[in-house]
Amino acid sequence: MMMKRLLLAVICLVVLTGCWDTRHFKNVKLVLTIGFDAADDEKIKSTVSIPTIRRGADGPGEETVSVLSEIGYTPRSAREKIDLRISNAFDPSKLEVLLLGEELAKKDIYPVLDVFYRNPKNNLNAKLAVIEGEVEEAIGMQPNIDTRPSKYISGLLDAVKDATHTTGDNLQLICAELFEPGVDFVLPLLKVDKEMSTLKFNGLALFHDKVYTGDKITPEQTTLLMLMMGYKGKVARFTTQVLEDEEEQIMNYISFNVMNLDRNLNINVKDGEVEAVINLKLNIRVVEYPKKHLDKATEVTKLDDKLSEELTKEAKDIISRLQEANSDVFSIGRRIQAYHYKEWKKMDWNEEFSQITITPKVEVNIQQQGVIN
Amino acid sequence: MSFFKFFSKHHSNDSSEDQKEIKQLAAGSTAKNEPQHPTSIKLSENIKYLLKNLNHSSDVKVRVLKDGQSALIYLESLVDQEKIQRTIFAPIEDNDTNSILGLPSGKKTTNLEETIPALLSGQVVYLENGTTTAIQFNATAHYSRSPDEPTNEKVLRGSHEGFVENLTVNVNLLRKRIEHRDLTFKYFKIGKKMNTNVAIAYMDGLADPKIIKMLEKRIKAITSEAIMSPGYIEEFIEDNPGSPFPQMLNTERPDKAVGNVMDGRILLLAEGSPTVLILPATFFMFYQSPDDYNMRWYTGTFVRLIRLASFLIAIGLPAFYIAIVSFHFEVLPDDLVMPVKSSINEIAYPPILEALVMVVIIELIREAGIRLPSPVGQTIGIVGGLVIGDAVVRAGLISNVMVIVIALTAIASFVVPSNEMSTTLRLLTFPIILAAGTLGFVGIVFALLFIFIHLTRLESFGVPYFAPIAPLQLKDLKDTFVRLPLFMMKTRPKDARPLQKGAMGESREWKKSEQSKKS
Amino acid sequence: MSNQKNRKLSQRQFFFLIIQTQIGVGILSLPYDLHIAAKQDGWLSLIIGAFIIQFVLIVLWLLGKKYPEWDLFQMIEFLTGKWLGKVLSLSYAVYFTFVGALVLVLFGRMISGWILPNTPIWVITFLMTSVSLYLVCSGIKVVARFFTMLSALLLFLLFLLVFSLNELKLMYLFPVATSSWKELAAGVNSGMLAFLGFILILVIAPKVKGAAVDTLKTIFIAHWFVAIFYLIIVLISFTFFSTEELPLVSSPILYMLKSFEFTVVSRVDLFFLSVWIVSVTTTFTIYIYMSGVGLMRVFHSQNKKVFLIVTAAAAFFISFWPIGSQKTIDAFTSHIMTASYGMAIFLPFILYGLSLFRKKNAAGSER
Repeated sequence: MMMKRLLLAVICLVVLTGCWDTRHFKNVKLVLTIGFDAADDEKIKSTVSIPTIRRGADGPGEETVSVLSEIGYTPRSAREKIDLRISNAFDPSKLEVLLLGEELAKKDIYPVLDVFYRNPKNNLNAKLAVIEGEVEEAIGMQPNIDTRPSKYISGLLDAVKDATHTTGDNLQLICAELFEPGVDFVLPLLKVDKEMSTLKFNGLALFHDKVYTGDKITPEQTTLLMLMMGYKGKVARFTTQVLEDEEEQIMNYISFNVMNLDRNLNINVKDGEVEAVINLKLNIRVVEYPKKHLDKATEVTKLDDKLSEELTKEAKDIISRLQEANSDVFSIGRRIQAYHYKEWKKMDWNEEFSQITITPKVEVNIQQQGVIN
Repeated sequence: MSFFKFFSKHHSNDSSEDQKEIKQLAAGSTAKNEPQHPTSIKLSENIKYLLKNLNHSSDVKVRVLKDGQSALIYLESLVDQEKIQRTIFAPIEDNDTNSILGLPSGKKTTNLEETIPALLSGQVVYLENGTTTAIQFNATAHYSRSPDEPTNEKVLRGSHEGFVENLTVNVNLLRKRIEHRDLTFKYFKIGKKMNTNVAIAYMDGLADPKIIKMLEKRIKAITSEAIMSPGYIEEFIEDNPGSPFPQMLNTERPDKAVGNVMDGRILLLAEGSPTVLILPATFFMFYQSPDDYNMRWYTGTFVRLIRLASFLIAIGLPAFYIAIVSFHFEVLPDDLVMPVKSSINEIAYPPILEALVMVVIIELIREAGIRLPSPVGQTIGIVGGLVIGDAVVRAGLISNVMVIVIALTAIASFVVPSNEMSTTLRLLTFPIILAAGTLGFVGIVFALLFIFIHLTRLESFGVPYFAPIAPLQLKDLKDTFVRLPLFMMKTRPKDARPLQKGAMGESREWKKSEQSKKS
Repeated sequence: MSNQKNRKLSQRQFFFLIIQTQIGVGILSLPYDLHIAAKQDGWLSLIIGAFIIQFVLIVLWLLGKKYPEWDLFQMIEFLTGKWLGKVLSLSYAVYFTFVGALVLVLFGRMISGWILPNTPIWVITFLMTSVSLYLVCSGIKVVARFFTMLSALLLFLLFLLVFSLNELKLMYLFPVATSSWKELAAGVNSGMLAFLGFILILVIAPKVKGAAVDTLKTIFIAHWFVAIFYLIIVLISFTFFSTEELPLVSSPILYMLKSFEFTVVSRVDLFFLSVWIVSVTTTFTIYIYMSGVGLMRVFHSQNKKVFLIVTAAAAFFISFWPIGSQKTIDAFTSHIMTASYGMAIFLPFILYGLSLFRKKNAAGSER
C-alpha cells in the first residue's frame, strides 16, 4: 500500500510539475570553437563558430559553419550579444577549442577564462592555443582540409601534441599552473597563413604567472623542450646537423626518433643559491642518415657523442630563452617550495628564476638504426 | 548419498485391524463429512437418483444388462467405449462379476453420492438389482497430445519433451526423470465449481517443510469458483500481488522443472495446463535456461552475462538516451556530438515523446504478431519493423538514433528466457523514461533506486527474491552471473532453503587417481 | 527462536551498514574542507582524526558490550533515569532528524549547483526523502541487504578515480607539516566530522549477531576502510589540484572528473554524481532510521512506521529553512557540527562513565 501511494506521488510529481532543466540537444546552437581578442577600451571581442548540419535523407547532410563576433566588457557580456543574433540558445558545453589572441594573452588571462571554470556545464576539456594575430581571422578562415574550424584546429593541436611539440594542456590542466607560484606553462602558438588558408603551428608561447610574456620557443626547439619537461607524445622526431664537411647539404643531417627517455631534475639549494641540473637520457632510433656508415661500433659512439653535444647546446639555448622570459616551465620554483621550504620563504621567485643556474645535460644513445646499417 | 530411513517397525496387529488400516491408506484421506446417500436396493431408484443429480445431461449413458437386473452408468464423453466393451461387457456376459472388481481402481461403495464425482472424473458405475453395493471402476479415455517441445521455450540441445495439458501425463514425465522414493506428490481440488485437479511436487527431505506448509495453506484458502490455469493460482497465492515482478517461475519443460525440484524447490501443476509453476523463485532464476548447462561452461557464462546485460539495457537504455539528449549532452564524446546532433536536429517532437511513441509501436507490433497465425505474424513483423521504422525516420517524425535505441531495447527485453519477466521489463521502461525525461540522470538514479529497493524487499514464499545479491551469498554467485562447471556446484543454492546443502561430493576424483598412476 | 536468530544482522551486513552511513554527502567536499583548514597537510589531519575516532569507537564498543541487549536509547533511559533519559533520547532523535535535514540540504544544494540549476530543490529532496522512506519502512534487515548490494558502487567510484593517476603530481603534497598546530587541529576537526555516523553502532549493535569481539573487529575494519577510502580521495584531489587552486574548487573530485574525456563518454563527473546520490540516500536512510527508533523508544510504541514517516517528513521540512543561501547553509552546518561533538562523542563518554558506577541489576524490569 505504502509503495503504491509513493509511486502515485512520484508519478504525479513527474507529470504535473514538468521539466525545469530540460535543454533539448536539438534546440541548442553548439559552439565548438570560441576565441577572444583584445578590443579597444579594454573590451573583449569574442568570436564563435557555430556549425549546423542539415539532415539529409540518409545520414548527415550538408554542413555549414557560421562565424559571429561581438564586443563586450567581459566574455559573458559578449556572449549575450551574440545570443541576440542567433536562433535558439548559445551553448558552449561541448567547446572543443579555445583561442586567445596574442594581445589579449599578454594581459592576465584568468579573467577571460573565469566563466569557463565557474559554470559546471562548460567543458574543461577544451584545448587552448594562442593565435599570433587576430583570433577572428583564425576562426573565420575556411580550411579546405576539414569542414569545421573546430575539427581542424583541435585536430591540428592533437597532431602537434602527438609529435611532442606541446603538452596538450586543456583548460583544467592549466588551471593549476595559472595559480601556483613557481609553476609556469606554455601554450601552443598558431599563426594564420592566409595564402594557403591554413593555420600553422608556430612554436610555444611562454607564460609567466597568468601572462603571455611575448617570448616563444620556435617549432624546431619545441620537441627538445618537451623532452626536457619529461613529456613525450607518440613520436618525437629530430633532424640535426652532425657534419659540416660534406659537399651535398643533405649528407650533413641525421634524423632520428626518440624511443624512450629518462629525465632527472636535480635541484640544489645552498645559501640561497639555486642550482638545477636537468639530466636527459634519450634512446633513439636513426630513421634517416644518408651517409650510411653505421656499421662500426666506434662510428656509433662517435655519433652518440656528437648528438649529445648538439642537443645539449640547443638545450642551453632553450633554457636561456626561458630564463629571459622568466617562465619556469619546469616548475623548479614549486619543487623548491616543496623540498626546501625554508629557503623558499626567503626568495622572491619572480626575481630569482632568471638568476639561477640551470645546467642541461643531454645524453643520446643510438639503440636502433633501421634495417640497414 | 542415500536417504534411507530405517523406521520400518513390524507391527504384529491382528489381521482385521491391519486390513482396515490398509483400506484407509489406499483410500487416502477422504474420511471427511461428505454428503451421504445410501444406495437403494432397487436398481431403478438408484438410476433415477443419479440421472436427477446429473441433471439428465445428454451424455449420461445408462446401459441395461442381464435383462434389467443390472446397469452400467457412465458419461460417454469421458470414457473409453472400447475399453468398456472389452473389459466389462465381456466378463459380465459371462456372469463373472468378480473380475470386474479386479479392474483398475475397482471399488465398492454403498454411498450413491460418492459415485457422482467418480462419474464426473470418467469412471463407470456398475449397479445391480438387489444389492446395495455400487461398483465403480476406471475406464477414462485419455485424450492428450504428445509431449512435444514447447514452442515458447525452445532449446538447442537437451530434452525436447514438454508438459501437456494432462496432469497424469505430467506427473508421469516427472516420475520418469526422478526415480526416487522422496519425490512426493500431493493432490488438491480447487475451484468450488470446477474442481480442478492441482498437484504439488517436491523432494521430501529436501524441500523446506515450512514452505510446503505455507503453500498448502495458501492453496486451501482459495475460494474462487473457477481456476482455469496456474496463472489464476499464481495471483491467489503470491506474496506481493502489487509487484510488477513475477514471483513464481513458470515453465513447460520437464527438465527445467526437475532441475528445480532437485534444488529443493516445489512444483505446482494443474490439470488442463502445460504450465508448471516453480516456487519459491528468485530474480536470477528467470535468467537461467536449460541450454546453459548443455554448453561448455565458458559459453554458458558468456551467455549468462549477455542476458544480465540485457536486463540493464532493456530497462535503462531509452531512459539513458533521453537523459542525454534532453539534459546532459555534455556526456557525448566530441566525435559523436555532430552525428547525433544532425540526426535529431529537425525532429518535431521532444525525445521523451519520440521514445514513448516508439515503445508503444513496438508493443503494438508484438501484440499483433502473437495473435495472428504465424505466417501472417511474420509479415506484420516485417511491415512493422522495416516499413514503419524506415518511413518514420524519413518523415522526420522520429530520429534514427531513437529507432536504434528502441529497437535495441526491444531485442534486449526478448533475450530473457522467461516471457513474464520480459513483459515486466518492457513495462518498467515507461516509468524510467518518464523519470529521465523530468530530471535526467537524477531521475534515472531515483527510479532505479525504487526498483532495486523493491527487488530487495520482495519475497517469494518467505525467500528473498533478489538472492544471492541481496542478501549477498558469495557461494551462490557460481550459478548467477557465471555458470561454473557443474562439478564445482557442490552446494545447492541457499535461496530455496534446501534441507540438505550438499548436492554432490567430489566427482572428479578419478583425475587425481589417474595422475597418481602416471607418476 | 531460530526465526528470531535469522532476523539478526550478520557481521558483514553490519560492516556495510557502517561504511554506507559514513560515506555520504561529505566525500565531495572533504578534500576542500581539509585543505581550507590545513592546506596541503590536510591529509595528515585526516589520519589524526581517524585515530581519535578510533579511540571513540572503542569507548562506544565498551558501552555496547556492557548492555548487549539494548540499543542506545534503552541504555540512556537505564543509565540516567526515566525522565532525564526521555529528554536525552528525544534530543538524540531530534539531533538525528537535524543531521538528516542537513544531508538533504547539502545534497539538494549540490545537485542544484551542479546539474539541475532550475529544478526547485524541494523536488529533489522530496524524491530523496521518499526513496529513503520506502527503503527504511522495509525494516533494517532489508536496509542491510540493500546496502551490501550497493557497496559495489563504491568500487565503481574508486574505479573512476583511477583515470586521474596520470595527472597526479606528488609535488603538491609538499612541503609536509608546515602548517601550524592550529591549522592542523582545524583540519582534524573537519576530518573527524567526515566520520560522523558511527553512533549507528550503538543503535544497531543489539541487532547484530556474533560475539562482542567480532563486533569490535568489524567496527575496526569498517572504520579503517572508510578512512582509507577518504584518504585516497583526499590524496588524489591534493595531488591533482595545485595548492593554490584547491581553495577555489569546492568539490574537487567532480571538478577533476569533469576534465576527462574517454572515447565512449566524456564528463564522467555526471556519472560520479549519479552514483554519489546513492551514497547520500544510504546515509539519509540511516539517520531517519535512528531517529525513528529513538522516537519509538521514547513513546514506548511498537509502530515504527509512523515514527519513520514523521521523522522523514520533519527532516524534509526542516531542510527548507536553511537552503536559501550559502550563508545560512554554512551556519546550519556549523551548528549541527557543534552539536555532533556533544551527541556523538561527549555524551557516549558520559554514558560510559555512568555505566561504570551503575550495576546492571534493573536490567529486566526496564523492558
